[in-house]
Parts: sequence; structure tokens; C-alpha cells
Amino acid sequence: MKNFYMGIDVGSVSTNIVILDEENNIVWKKYLRTQGKPIDILKEGLKEVRKELGDIDIKGVGTTGSGRQLAGLILGADVVKNEITCHAVSALDFMPDIKTIIEIGGQDSKIIIIRDGIVVDFAMNTVCAAGTGSFLDRQAFRLGVGIEQFGKLALKSDNPVRIAGRCAVFAESDMIHKQQLGHNQEDIIWGLCQALVRNYLNNVGKGKEILGPIAFQGGVAANEGIKRAFEDTLKQEVFIPKDFDVMGAVGVGLLAKAEVKRKKTTSFKGLNISNIDYKVRGMECNDCANLCEVIEIQEGNNILARYGDKCGKWTNSIKDSSKLA
Amino acid sequence: MCKIGIPRGMFFYDYFPLWKEFFQELGIEIIVSSKTNKEILNLGISSCVDEACLPVKIFHGHVEYLKDKVDYIFIPRIMSIDRMEYCCPKVLGLPDMIRYSIGKLPPIIDTQINLRKSNNKYKKSIYDTGKLLGKDFWEIKKAYKKAEKSYERYIYLLNKGVVPIEAIKIYDKVFKDINYSSEHNELTIMVVGHSYSIYDEYLNMNLISKLMSNNIKVITPEMINKEKINRYSNKLPKRMFWTHGKRIVGSAFSLIEEQKIDGIIYLSSFGCGMDSVLVDLVERKAIKAEIPFTLLTLDEQTGEAGVNTRIEAFIDMMKWRNRDENNISAFR
Repeated sequence: MKNFYMGIDVGSVSTNIVILDEENNIVWKKYLRTQGKPIDILKEGLKEVRKELGDIDIKGVGTTGSGRQLAGLILGADVVKNEITCHAVSALDFMPDIKTIIEIGGQDSKIIIIRDGIVVDFAMNTVCAAGTGSFLDRQAFRLGVGIEQFGKLALKSDNPVRIAGRCAVFAESDMIHKQQLGHNQEDIIWGLCQALVRNYLNNVGKGKEILGPIAFQGGVAANEGIKRAFEDTLKQEVFIPKDFDVMGAVGVGLLAKAEVKRKKTTSFKGLNISNIDYKVRGMECNDCANLCEVIEIQEGNNILARYGDKCGKWTNSIKDSSKLA
Repeated sequence: MCKIGIPRGMFFYDYFPLWKEFFQELGIEIIVSSKTNKEILNLGISSCVDEACLPVKIFHGHVEYLKDKVDYIFIPRIMSIDRMEYCCPKVLGLPDMIRYSIGKLPPIIDTQINLRKSNNKYKKSIYDTGKLLGKDFWEIKKAYKKAEKSYERYIYLLNKGVVPIEAIKIYDKVFKDINYSSEHNELTIMVVGHSYSIYDEYLNMNLISKLMSNNIKVITPEMINKEKINRYSNKLPKRMFWTHGKRIVGSAFSLIEEQKIDGIIYLSSFGCGMDSVLVDLVERKAIKAEIPFTLLTLDEQTGEAGVNTRIEAFIDMMKWRNRDENNISAFR
């Protein structure tokens, strides 16, 4: 029986699952919308793995993304890693001489600088989500254009409209004004792509030495308009990996494989956890002025984890069978 | 006995040992507001003007917390604590800001400290504060002498490598000569920023403790001695006239040039005017010296995922770099 490894990236907008084989090939991948229900989507994803691949032998599991801790707990992951390390690992696997990674996801945008195969510098957007996937999503919706057509429309324009890109609120009002003036849709969309790239390079990419080869990954890489805007500004080709939308999951899958090789066993609970009922309860602890928001996760009738309290009172009392409110 | 409230915010971590000893020696009871928590944050945000930075808002919350529990609140007007230098405008106007934002306050003791031109006025400020509380010259003099001693012990600990959040707990206990620098740590990271952001553990989501629990040695600007800070900040083409700015730049420059750190985490409050200059100065210097640098900008968010991801990735990167230098496979 062949060995497989699973990488899962639970992001703000999408949950991605990949299955890798022993030679690091992607055997199967799935891009699901998280829709604020990480546990349900995770279970749905696992069900699909079973349906399409049968009961395969998964030797190791890794989780990443902003929901990595939660997903790691539920699955019994071997590795729980931040997105930056994972994107670097997968990009290096895609192109070993990579020097710069541009990653734009749902709520984060990152730049990772790599020299001689190691991460030497990185940056993430600081406070504002302007110029990330969810911003584009929203603007596409507002313009009445499917996000899938967004990039193609941008490419049709050769007369971009300048749109303020530093702040999502300003960008939106600027865009509305330009619409009212009668600019056509393609020009506005192309202008928006340029604004996003300008904002990215001035904020996230500020002070970084962006050398080629450059890889562009994350969900937004599907947008040809953004790719073209990057290439115009940086004056060089930007490479998009075939599996750009699941690169985080690929990276953590590779890390899980390495970890399992080292410890020779996996802590993965098996694909049948998609049948188990998970419940999440939250409460505000009123025992002190911190008013911590405590979360409890139940697996069937057992308490799987509690977290969110600053003092550790709830986290540590997990064996105590009394449940929260 | 009269009670004085000291809000646990702004310059608290710079001067608390001095203030506490002074008032206690005068026979006055001290009440310190509790550590920042959600209640204090909410109180602060609802009473403070909206454009202020988070530490100022939190300070408002601490005053709200104290106002019904004490007879006086101590909010010194710290204008300048060194020759030809100034503090942030929000520190200069802090007592007024509080007075006009919060209602039903007990009297505020707003001792003015202005040493910009000379140190002469300093003694007068101390006596005026003591007199206000009905104490005579000799009592005040004796109390201040003692306060100075306890402040010196605090500074001594910081220079020995004790992080301020620890030092503030132990400076007045009997202690042996602790030598923290002998402990073995895999990495040394400088956490830089204004004292009121880097030591408020609620505001920064326990940044320093998180690093320390990863077996990382943490150095902060307050732990670098003054002489060194002056020497290195003087390397700037123009004199830095903000005291805290000078401390941040001088301490970061000294640690970078002396190659004592593996990385720098700059913690900044959203909207800090000083930081808009300081972050860039420190970052450029770090890039030149090839020392990893990252900036964390905080406001009132309490979801920790964003901060944790950045810290984790930063630590990973430094470990990855170190392993590579030691010729161990970089992948694992």
C-alpha cells in the first residue's frame, strides 16, 4: 500500500487540502471556502478525501493557516506551522533557486525573501486588509463582476483609472466616484489591480530587495490582472506555480512528511473523524476583570481542548468533566 | 491616612520604584491600578479621545479604575527628563487630557518635571509635591533619598539583564547578585518600542513572556545603560530630541553594532507619530547589518492569531538561518 501525506491550510477565506505521495507529487487537492465554519468545512473536506480516494494510508498530517491550532487539535496533526515557513518550503520545492515569494491570501499579504535556499527576511501586512483577496472579492461583488472574470476584464483595458490604494475605505469611495464620472468597468478594474500592487509594494514590500526569480502564490494569483500589474511594475516575469492556491498546504504536507520520517509514527486520528460530532462552546469567564473569552471543543462526549483564558484555569482543568455553560 | 492612586500605564515601568518609595516613605498609602484587562481597556476607549494611541487610551482606563478608590491621583506632567530633550506631546499634556476627558475625578497631583534647561527645578518639584501632602522639608528630603536608592536598585537589575516586567516584581526584595547573562539561550532577540507598549502584557499579548518561554533571551531598551545609549544615538546626523526616541535608537544601534542579538522585534502602537520616524531608523540599520527585523503594529485587537503567526515565523526564520550557518540541513 502506498504512503500518503496530508497538508491542510485553514485560512480566513479558504480551506485547502492536499494529499502528497512519497515523491512529493500532488495526488489530490481541494479548495473549499471556509465561510467562518472551519470545523464543518474540515469534516466535509475529509469526507471528500474518503469518497474520492478511498481509505488511503495517510502517514502524516500537517496544518497551517490562521486556523492551524484548531485544525491541528481535531486531526491530531504531526506538524502545526505558520504560513510563512510553509509557503517558503513549498516554493523552494517548486523552484529551488527562488529569491522572492509574493503571497496574497484572503486577509493577509506577505513577502518572503529567500537567499541560497533559506528565508532571510519576510513581512506581512501590518494593520489594514486593503489589497488582499477579501477586498478584491468585495469590490468584484460591488461591481457586479464574478471574481473569476475580474482578471480577464483588467487585461482588456489599456487606460487605467487611478484609484487610491492605501486604505480599503478610501479605495472604495475613490472607485465609486470614478464610476459616477462614467469611466468604464475594465479601466476601473485595471486601475484597482494597479492600486493593489502599488499598495503591496509600498507597504509589505517596503525596503525589501525584490530579486528574481519571483513566485506569486495564494488565491489572488488566479487574477491575471494582478500578475500583469506586478510584472509591469517589477519589470520582470512573475512565476505562478501550477498549484498556487494550495501552496501553504503543500508546504505543511512536506514538513509533516519530514517530521514523520524523524519520529517514525503519526499522531493523526484517521479519516473517520469526519463522522464524529464536534461541538464548540464559548463563554465569557467572569471570575476576574480580564473577562476572557474561553472556547471549549468537544469531540463526541469528551472535551478535546479549552483555550482563550489568560490564567490557564480552564485550559488546565480539562480533565475535570464539568463542561462549560 | 490619605491614599494616592498610581495608574499602571505610560511611564509606570520607567519610574514606579521611585514614586512608590517616595510616597510610602512620607507615610502615604499607594494604590496601583490592576494590570491592564478588558474592563480597563473598555473604560479607556470610551473615555479617551478617539485619535489617541492605544497606550494613552489604556492610561485613561487605569485612571477610571482608580478614581473612586483614592484621594489623589498621581499623574506627573513629564515635559523633559534630560537637557534639550522632550517627551511625546501626549505625555506633556497627559494631566490636562485626563482632566477634560474623565468626570468626577479626585484631585490630580500633576508635578511638573521640566529639566530641559537645567536640573535646578527638579528639587523644587519634589518639595512642592511633598508640601501639597502637608509634609515638611526634612521629611521630604529623607523620603526622596530613600526613593532614589530603590530606583537605583531597579536600574541596577535592568543593567544586569533582568527584564523590567520581572525586575519590577523583585527590585525591593532581598536578592543576591543575580547573573542572568550566564543562562544559556539559543537565540537573543531585542524587543524594542516605547516602555508603555512593550511592558504592558495585555496590550502586547504577552510578547516578552512568549519569547522567553521559547528559550529566547530578551533584551529591551531599558536594559541598556545610559552612557551607551548616548554614545550610539550621537551617531545620527541630527540630534534626537525625544528622550524615548533616543533610548530606542541608541539601544538598538548599540546592540546591532556590537552584534549581540539575532533579531529585532519592533512593537509599535498604531498611529504613533514618533515611531513613524524611529521604526525606519532602526529597520534601515538592521537591514544594513543583515539582522532580521520585524514590525508588529498593535491596536485594540485581542485576537492573537496574527501576532502569533508573525512571532512564530520570525523565530523559525532565525533558527533556520542559524542551522544553515552550522551546515545542518536547512529543511528540518
